[in-house]
Amino acid sequence: MKKDILETKKGNFEITVTVNGELKELSVKNGEFLLDALRRHGWKGTKKGCDTGDCGSCTVILNGRAVLGCLVPAVAAHGGELTTIEGLGTVRDPHPLQEAFVEAGAVQCGFCIPGMILSSKALLDRAPRPTEAEIRKALDGNLCRCTGYVKQVEAVKNASARLAGGKRKRG
Amino acid sequence: MDAKNLKVVNKPVRKMDALGLACGEPAFTDDVEFKGLLHAKLLWSPHAHARIKKIDVSAALKVPGVKAVLTWKDLPRVPHTTAGQGYPEPSPYDTYTLDNKVRYVGDRVAAVAAETLEAAREAVSKIKVDYEVLPAVLEVFDAMKDGAPVIHDEPDSKNIPDAKRNIAAKFDFEVKNGEWFKEADHVFEHSWSIPYLQHCAIEPHVSIAHFDNFGRLVLRTSTQVPFHVRRIVAQALKIPVKKIRVVKPRIGGGFGSKQEVLEDIVAALALKTGRPVKLEYTRKETFISSRTRHPAVCRMKAGVKNDGTITDAEMEITLNTGAYGSHALTVMMCSGSHTIPMYRVKNNIKFVGRSVYTNMPVAGAYRGYGATQGFFAWECLMDMMADKIGMDPVEFRKLNYIKLGEGSPVFKAMGEGREGVEQVITSTGLFEAIQKGMDEIKWAEKRAKYAGQTGPVRRGVGVACMMQGSGIPEVDMASATIKMNEDGSFNLLVGAADLGTGSDTILAQIAAEVLGVKTEDMIVTSSDTDVTPFDVGAYASSTTFISGGAAKKAAEKVRDMILAVAAKILDEKKEDLRLEGGRAVSRKGASCSLSEVANTSLYYYDQHQIAATASHYAHTSPPPFQANFAEVEVDTATGKIRILDYVSCIDCGTAINPQLAEGQNDGAVVNGISHTLSEAMEFSANGTPLNASFRRYKILSAADTPPVRTFLVPTWEPNGPFGAKSVSEIGINGPLPAVANAVYAACGARLFDAPFTPEKVLAALKKTA
Amino acid sequence: MKNIKYYARPSSVKDALALLLDRKYKALALAGGTLVAKTLPDSVETYLDLKDLPLKGIKLQGGNLVIGAGATFDEIDRDRLCRGWAGGIVSAAAAKCSSQLIRNMATIGGNVARPHSFNIFPVVLLGLDARVRVQAKGGSRLLGLEELYAAAPLLRPGSNCLITEIVIPAATKKWKCEFVKLAKTDSSWESYVTLFFAAERRGKALSRARVAVGALSPRPFRAPRGGEGPAGRRGPRQGLRGRPRRRARRGLRLRGVGQPARPLRGRYLR
Repeated sequence: MKKDILETKKGNFEITVTVNGELKELSVKNGEFLLDALRRHGWKGTKKGCDTGDCGSCTVILNGRAVLGCLVPAVAAHGGELTTIEGLGTVRDPHPLQEAFVEAGAVQCGFCIPGMILSSKALLDRAPRPTEAEIRKALDGNLCRCTGYVKQVEAVKNASARLAGGKRKRG
Repeated sequence: MDAKNLKVVNKPVRKMDALGLACGEPAFTDDVEFKGLLHAKLLWSPHAHARIKKIDVSAALKVPGVKAVLTWKDLPRVPHTTAGQGYPEPSPYDTYTLDNKVRYVGDRVAAVAAETLEAAREAVSKIKVDYEVLPAVLEVFDAMKDGAPVIHDEPDSKNIPDAKRNIAAKFDFEVKNGEWFKEADHVFEHSWSIPYLQHCAIEPHVSIAHFDNFGRLVLRTSTQVPFHVRRIVAQALKIPVKKIRVVKPRIGGGFGSKQEVLEDIVAALALKTGRPVKLEYTRKETFISSRTRHPAVCRMKAGVKNDGTITDAEMEITLNTGAYGSHALTVMMCSGSHTIPMYRVKNNIKFVGRSVYTNMPVAGAYRGYGATQGFFAWECLMDMMADKIGMDPVEFRKLNYIKLGEGSPVFKAMGEGREGVEQVITSTGLFEAIQKGMDEIKWAEKRAKYAGQTGPVRRGVGVACMMQGSGIPEVDMASATIKMNEDGSFNLLVGAADLGTGSDTILAQIAAEVLGVKTEDMIVTSSDTDVTPFDVGAYASSTTFISGGAAKKAAEKVRDMILAVAAKILDEKKEDLRLEGGRAVSRKGASCSLSEVANTSLYYYDQHQIAATASHYAHTSPPPFQANFAEVEVDTATGKIRILDYVSCIDCGTAINPQLAEGQNDGAVVNGISHTLSEAMEFSANGTPLNASFRRYKILSAADTPPVRTFLVPTWEPNGPFGAKSVSEIGINGPLPAVANAVYAACGARLFDAPFTPEKVLAALKKTA
Repeated sequence: MKNIKYYARPSSVKDALALLLDRKYKALALAGGTLVAKTLPDSVETYLDLKDLPLKGIKLQGGNLVIGAGATFDEIDRDRLCRGWAGGIVSAAAAKCSSQLIRNMATIGGNVARPHSFNIFPVVLLGLDARVRVQAKGGSRLLGLEELYAAAPLLRPGSNCLITEIVIPAATKKWKCEFVKLAKTDSSWESYVTLFFAAERRGKALSRARVAVGALSPRPFRAPRGGEGPAGRRGPRQGLRGRPRRRARRGLRLRGVGQPARPLRGRYLR
């Protein structure tokens, strides 16, 4: 059983976690949440909007599920597989969801967008052709004050059509 | 003129920052690292009204890692306003960076900077304050009474019209053409009220104060008003403007809350420590200690003749400005000036406005800016009048709304904080907007279908029409600089503050249209007080109209310079040349590329940088118009309202970017619907906020949001850049009256008090029974 | 959270329980963590993560519906068995829990283990006569929800015992039920009231009418069993007009902090 236990060293846990496909050894603070740890280690795409689990700006995909980075203790990511917005695509090589959001005009201030896109990714991974109601349900934890969600729902629909159409294959 | 021949403007070009943001690029205030960064934390008042008798920071200073603790004793006492408005601000100077008196639960008491956030928090908890608790007043009507606690009893505050009665701003105005209500067949009088509402920008208030290599203070901050931040921080801390640089990175939404200058305290901490300092409000702090919409009670009284003529209209609005008078006068004036002119009033018009201090959170600018409060009353009253005289509410509005070429005495009498300007309507698509909305919602069909319903669940359709402004005439000024690069691209430097609205993109479109290039050929830098020319900032629905005007003028100057060089290259007359497709083209068909022009100017002939700066301000503020239609379902047993469809048709002149314009309106409307159905800040009996979190305040999520459909109705505004007017604010004002009117149509219940919760609907239903 | 010295993620219930009972660790067990992670008491020194325990499955066992304590709201929402049980009431209730992100994280076990006014599952499970399998020192026990809560001082799931599965009795499979959440908006985390209602109509009479009410107090409560009432035109409403309503009022007084108390009107309970 000892092997299952991590112990703090000088107030830090040393964890191993796969971030965006790369195995990383990260030092996370005792009591630190994943959101803060990720930002501290340079993944600034994960945003802090409330820090109470209510806005979804800190959404990341942990072991295949979209979760709230502000509610996951950083140490619990140990041994896990994590996707942040930086891992989805880049400006040079964006993911179809990122392109779809841009094309639909779904990005206004953009602060909620990384979380919104990751929630959409998790949805499309398990339901490639969601209905509008399913999209709205899947995004109901990602608050946006700019767009009224109109163009974001449209963007997910467009991305779904594009991805399911198999024109482009991405992870 | 129309938008037919435009090549770049009126096209849905990609928002230029969208992809970077969608990829999580580190673009926001807090996305960059500063070596040696200190973390700031403020101590907030637990009392609604108290004097600080003693404040002991010795224990706080002993916390390891603490670098500075500031109280009122450590800072210059400079009365100022936090309202980021043009100078001199029309808001009272009643605020001090730190004061020896606190005026609401959540007011600043002291500030700490420490090596870690934890240390800062701990230090804050160790500051010992001895308060003399004073009687507090939470309601506006109590605050104006004789003997009410005086919230601003300090002698040094300025421009408070009646501090003894807690009046932060007042304005009265009357047009009298005869005896009041003499001609009216029916007279109506009611009051409508709006609670404390918060902006809920998803990015909280965050600022980083640091120093450049030469010791100048740099404020990297989430603001809508970089130039006002520079001026007001300089004023409050008594440092020269030249010592401050304000940089606006990408902003995570503002909606007016970031038109507020709260950066003084983080700047003070940086100056004290000589280290970079970050102040990031928590969500709770953002709710309580940033700014809110002004709660309002709006009483309206109007007379109408049986033929549909509105004879008289009187609006008396009382705004709660909270503990400080930020935007107290201007929001109050806009609640009348943006609304009353909407409909012709034959005889008498009166406006009585008061903004009143209370020991409550501070109100400020919020999308809609008073018109939200005013239109809720005016448009519901319109509905009541139409109902009484048996006229279709749409027909009644069509009969009375302000038409092309018409003016209003209100335009001249009421500006923002001062006299306004005389103006007439120079473009309107309201008629078309109404027609489109009626078609989309199936107005006639549904009015007929929903008449005489029985059963507990009833449906109805309602209408509300709106206008807003486009910038503040003869106050707002913007400028733009354009310089040309070797490859025929241009740098566009604007003081305008894109806070997510897409203004960088639409300003680039405007300039690109003039210069005959693609939007991608414009490299936009927005808002750095060291780099970009002055702009008042992003507020008052001004950016497209005012900053757009500046971008267009600057581009025209640059075009002139380009053509002068091209004329030499092509050996033609300048007058015979035009810019098109990235080239200077002559009537005879000869042409040269912009890159040739640039290289010629830079390296060969009469060497010079092709560049120009232009400024723009306007003598009028052409209103956009909007028709809103809501279809609702009311469960008369539970009181729950469900919005089945919401159609919003907007005349914003030429939409510079139709996709972004739609997005602006969608967002404004859903924010308004959220106000209508669920939002309200709640307080305990001693003024402590009870629901200062997304969880309890609850803005609508994607799943909660009803179908919202925006339709653009193109018109051409002769005073706007390429026919454009504003688009950003107007949509937020529609849902309250449109839904209230639809609920009345459905079940006969009139709603006067936002938000329309089930309890209020049930209570209103009881009154109809 | 700040005093955590150890992070443990055992892969068997036995190991987890052993660690929990070992006083030197001062451990607290967390599943989804959505309710607890932010408010972990300073006395806790070991964060016991239940993520790797084999408690995820949802299955039929002896005709009963057995839901592993580690099943998330989202998994329950989408599970075929749950969707087919008692008109899909368990899935429907799961879908009504605040937001997708919370539903992805929060588990049914955690929802039962930590009494909280706005928890969704206890209301439904109470209504469905569900039992909870608790693994404690000395073995496992199957307890009704009321029994579990009554045993609170002795049995504290997550502190000295673990919930491993939820057993919904076979008899409820064909029940006709309703679950109502009245809240500020559909996706509110908090609710004014949550309500489970089930009844059967036998000729002109209602039988097995039952009501469980949540959100008014940290633990849900239900109307006493039985009470055959006439099935008038109003149907189910009759069953709600009597004692449950008074109970609800009483529940209202039990409330601590939360939304300002609102009167629970009979007419809400349509």
